[in-house]
Amino acid sequence: MRFVLKKILTLAVTVLAISFIVFLAFSVIPGDPALMLLGGESDPAKVEALRQKMGLNDPVIVQYERWLAAFLRGDMGTSYKYSMPVTRLLADKVPITLALSAEAFLLMVVLSIPLGIYSAKHEGSAADRFLVVCNQVVMAIPPFFSGILITYLFGMLLHLFTPGGYVSFREDLGAFFAYLFFPALAIAIPKIAMAVKLLRSSVLTESKKDYVRTAYSRGNSTNSVLYGHVLKNALLPAVTFFGMAIADMIAGSIIIEQVFGIPGLGKTLLTSIGNRDYPVIEAIIVLIAVIVVASNVLVDILYQVLDPRIEID
Amino acid sequence: MGKTLLDVSDLNIEFHDHQAPERVVRDFDLLMEEGEIVGLVGESGSGKSMSAMAIAGLLNRHEIEKTGKILFDGTDLLHCSREKLRSYQGSDISIVFQEPMTSLDPVQKIGRQVEESLKIHHPDLSEQERQNRMLKSLSDAGLPDPAGVAREYPFELSGGMRQRVMIAAAMIDDPRLLIADEPTTALDVLIQEQIIELLRRINRERGTAVLFISHDLSLVNRLCSRVLVMHHGKVIETGRSSEVFQNPNRDYTKKLIASIPRVNLQRPRDNDRDVHPEVSPAPTGKNALSVKDLSVFYTSRGKGFFGRTQKTEVVHHVSLDVGEGEILALVGASGSGKSTLARAVAGLNPLHTGTIELPDGRPQMVFQDPYNSLNPAYTIRWLLEEPLRLAGVNDEKERKKRVDEMMELVHLDKTLGDRYPSQLSGGQRQRVCIGSALMQKPKLLIADEPVSALDVTIQVEILSLLKRLQRELGLAVLFISHDLRTVWQLCDRVAIMKDGLIVDQGDVDEIYLHSQSEYTKQLLQAACIVRREEQ
Repeated sequence: MRFVLKKILTLAVTVLAISFIVFLAFSVIPGDPALMLLGGESDPAKVEALRQKMGLNDPVIVQYERWLAAFLRGDMGTSYKYSMPVTRLLADKVPITLALSAEAFLLMVVLSIPLGIYSAKHEGSAADRFLVVCNQVVMAIPPFFSGILITYLFGMLLHLFTPGGYVSFREDLGAFFAYLFFPALAIAIPKIAMAVKLLRSSVLTESKKDYVRTAYSRGNSTNSVLYGHVLKNALLPAVTFFGMAIADMIAGSIIIEQVFGIPGLGKTLLTSIGNRDYPVIEAIIVLIAVIVVASNVLVDILYQVLDPRIEID
Repeated sequence: MGKTLLDVSDLNIEFHDHQAPERVVRDFDLLMEEGEIVGLVGESGSGKSMSAMAIAGLLNRHEIEKTGKILFDGTDLLHCSREKLRSYQGSDISIVFQEPMTSLDPVQKIGRQVEESLKIHHPDLSEQERQNRMLKSLSDAGLPDPAGVAREYPFELSGGMRQRVMIAAAMIDDPRLLIADEPTTALDVLIQEQIIELLRRINRERGTAVLFISHDLSLVNRLCSRVLVMHHGKVIETGRSSEVFQNPNRDYTKKLIASIPRVNLQRPRDNDRDVHPEVSPAPTGKNALSVKDLSVFYTSRGKGFFGRTQKTEVVHHVSLDVGEGEILALVGASGSGKSTLARAVAGLNPLHTGTIELPDGRPQMVFQDPYNSLNPAYTIRWLLEEPLRLAGVNDEKERKKRVDEMMELVHLDKTLGDRYPSQLSGGQRQRVCIGSALMQKPKLLIADEPVSALDVTIQVEILSLLKRLQRELGLAVLFISHDLRTVWQLCDRVAIMKDGLIVDQGDVDEIYLHSQSEYTKQLLQAACIVRREEQ
């Protein structure tokens, strides 16, 4: 329990640090938000009045404190572009991106573990060699490109889904997840290839260890040695990889949302960057940071459950 | 004659991993009766472990070709189905391995691992029944608090306890044959003795036949009624152990027996020192190392929210001197603090109080494991040159000359210079380690169990080398060991450590013959060194 608390505390500190760096970055970026709000009108007196009103003339640290306090209350500021609260703007986007990343993550775990085990168990067989080559190729394909290929193959040739036919989760939850399947696959594919490669070598390394010989000497069959002893040990490096993959998947979703026309955080982020809509960008970056750091904390906790050698203090 | 339990005939084992097939066991024959203890002796690479693995049914890779017969109770284990073989494994035939540290599954609780054989062979047993037998097996193996141990993970136990756990797991289904593959090699003398006693008791009380594999002839002589000596994959001599031990027929067996460090307290020490009868250089009266009131600490992360680091004292207020050109032995069980003390002296652990005086400059270290202490990516010549480069010897010719001299000094053939560590034997690697430690011409060498990982015949060579270096270079050595027999052969003085304290110290003859320290007596007894008054 102590361990969990400690991890959560680290999480809070990390997120705080990230939010400060992000805030600082946006306060030194050239471009006056007041000027931008006024839409190119250049009456210096008006601009100055707005700057005063927005608190832009205060020291950065004071501005940051104000921003943080508001953020913690759930007020992420007001979008420059749409003149509506950022919170309301993002409320509909966060679940979409979360769902997309979660689906990609699940696909990765569910597909890579059996494939990795199969590949290791049948080391040197035709199927194993095919998988190894496949992995090499797939690993080199960036998600946006596999997204395009998938759209073409499954969408336009096989008609398994309608490209651009996104369904809101408010309308039909089933159809929503069904539409996300292929984008999630596009994000997951390179990660699956890496995870299969990692698991394959991890299972093979573990299989040569002394405790495996001991397990055989007790009369275990190959399968019970594999699933009863080797697998848990071999999964340890994979769990670390899965944790690191989460961050990449969220980053990947930003681009994939464009390819598949999904109105998630990523799409909003890109539009906001185009519009220099700083409050929205800040909020999205901090949200993504929270998700990434939190998922890493989860992985750390999971790792400890799997491996008793990690000290519990 | 008892009932035949195991009848191995014409066993041949061939590896087909590489281009040319490699035959590791040739025409191996072995007949074992119920309840018998048979020893299988040989050096590394002699094929003794391979034969044992084949009997235990653990050589199933396709690359390994086995021919011959392994009849266990009339069934040929070599030519039966996998299912049939598995029905014997862990039930009638059990095996205990050399490495208790790695032979247990690191992420599974002890209890589950111990009861695994029962689960496989008696799936109808109730949970409760299985649990009871598991606890009984742990307690039979001499583990106090079996219920507590069952809930722990392997990393929480010491080496000796893990080996007991391995034995408990092997014995849980009352096997008729227990194969013990060097079960004590990785353990301390005192623990070693306890494990041997445990095997003896298992044999006596349960009638389990034991096939005991070891490179230590004297251990085999004490435990086994019969012995087989293996060399280059062949059994070269077999017979009752006492006869083989006293009247070996083959030259190789004679050599093996001669390599066992002998300790006979009834005659002057030089009689036992057949490998290096030279006397030590006369004391100069100056010290190469002088340690006063030394305490050494380790830090560990403390518990609690902000976990302050905590210091643990491992060595307590120790004082000792090593004279110039003297070999001082530091003896103790694992965890006694002897290596910690040595690391502090070598400057590898700055967390200490007290004084360490090194009038002749920094000492160099040689470690136990010559397999892992050399960087595998560089040639021998490069490794030997490295200390010179670090010392700023920039002249390439000068470096080459000094490496050549060093290779000659430690008896390394010049042709080995361009090889990599993996292409050298264990003894050669340890020579490289010693050579590279001596490149900067230290006056003090710290040798941390430098021969424990080597075969007996190689041990003798390395010990002779150290003795010669002492004489020729006036080198002082702090020799860390747990083997009192080696110490008798090599060292001038001895300090005995227990729980971070030096409990006994003095000239080797004096300590071995007359020490009144209880702990010293225990250690001597475990090493089978007998004083006259105790005979």
